Amino acid sequence: MKIDIEQYLPHIRPWVESLANTFPGKEIKPQFAFWEVGHILSLILLGGTTILMNLRLLGAGVREEPPAEIYRNLRLWQNVGVIGIVVTGVLIGSANAERLYDSAAFVVKMLALLAGIIMTYGASRPVAAANGAVNLPQKLWFVLGSAVFILGLYIFVISDLINVGIYHVITGAALIVLVATRGRLRWTYLGVLIALIVAQFVGTHFVIAPDNYARLDPVNKVFTWLYSLWIVGCALFGLFRDGKTEEGGPLTKLIAYSTILVWVMGAAAGRWIAFA
Amino acid sequence: MIGAFLTWLEHSLGKGPGSDAQSWSEALLGSLNFWSLLEGTHLIALMLFAGTIFVVDLRLLGVTFRKTRVSVISDAILPLTVFSFIFVVVTGLGLVFAKPLYYYHNIWFRLKMVLLAIALINILVFHGQTQKTQAAWDTEETPPRNARLAAAGSLIMWLLVITCGRFIPYDWYECGKPQTAFINWVQECKTADKGEVNLAGQHLEAKPAGQQP
Repeated sequence: MKIDIEQYLPHIRPWVESLANTFPGKEIKPQFAFWEVGHILSLILLGGTTILMNLRLLGAGVREEPPAEIYRNLRLWQNVGVIGIVVTGVLIGSANAERLYDSAAFVVKMLALLAGIIMTYGASRPVAAANGAVNLPQKLWFVLGSAVFILGLYIFVISDLINVGIYHVITGAALIVLVATRGRLRWTYLGVLIALIVAQFVGTHFVIAPDNYARLDPVNKVFTWLYSLWIVGCALFGLFRDGKTEEGGPLTKLIAYSTILVWVMGAAAGRWIAFA
Repeated sequence: MIGAFLTWLEHSLGKGPGSDAQSWSEALLGSLNFWSLLEGTHLIALMLFAGTIFVVDLRLLGVTFRKTRVSVISDAILPLTVFSFIFVVVTGLGLVFAKPLYYYHNIWFRLKMVLLAIALINILVFHGQTQKTQAAWDTEETPPRNARLAAAGSLIMWLLVITCGRFIPYDWYECGKPQTAFINWVQECKTADKGEVNLAGQHLEAKPAGQQP
């Protein structure tokens, strides 16, 4: 299955085809690689600031300073990152529009961008500025952002050829939970995770022949679900076990987890535009 | 010698019997998804790695977190940087293993490695010299000149490393295309599969070392 813009807007194909030969696509094309570097650097700036701001809400990272102080120091650089990815993205997109037009990964990336902006500006930043307190507007923005995020995740998972990219989001989630959990939960979580990885490797290399795709596919899907359930389960268990901490309650932490992951999904989908 | 080793790595290591057998390197490059996952993970790990380095460098430059002690920022953030650097290196090695000869004869990869070495030396110099006096300027909003120079050097080096990394897939200077003598020499094109071609379009030497055995 594949969901792309071409399916829903087939009549705009002539316009899409013309983009590479008109301003700004035509001017960008010869310097495409340089604008790509700008896109990656913006993504790095956005990624670094988002991770640090939201890890603080999870009780990790720069714990000596309150979340509001982290927000105050990083907001400008996060803005630079967001504006950078949007501006460079529009420019390189206009020079490469035909490829994006029939790309499911591009649809996922755009949904991640929308969800990322909603969650970052509507929920994560105001919550950090208020030292973890979540009020009604942030709750509403978070619900809206989550809906778009889940739609993006769904399209990522059901789209042939790019659905493997969901492992980036799973890996990202696995690592954040590892950083955010404490004590026995962390070691139990890590132990089971390693056991799952070993079981998947053994199962898909020695029990089933590595080239037997018909049998490998359902097995890999089962493991994808097992990883997801285990990671999300441990994260939720940790959130509700810890209850309200100095950084806020379970909802504060859920916002932090989601805001990091939505940008990871955007970066992963962006990379998979090139692969499929 | 390096060319011969990389040729063995790319074409022979792990190769089983039979004409259809693949080396491990060829199997990785031809894998349905694994290479793409490595490449994607390399980029996402870079988000955390470079993103956190930038924040530490900006503090050392006195641009952000000016009221927070430098040691607080570096102690909290650098473990994340090191953790992500391991991911960047492991995935990077995997990517090189899939196409060792391509990378070996690529000017951007070579430049990236040089810049990476300079960036790492900069870190060592900072930890070995500048950081020894950190207790004296730990609380200062704008750290001393040496610390700011190290941070500026770090920022510039990592920006250049990332830029070179992004340029690697582009074939502007690919061996086998007409190039200046300098570019051919820097990339050791005379031992590459496609050989060395000068600006007049003449093939200068047949390729001896990089060929598949």
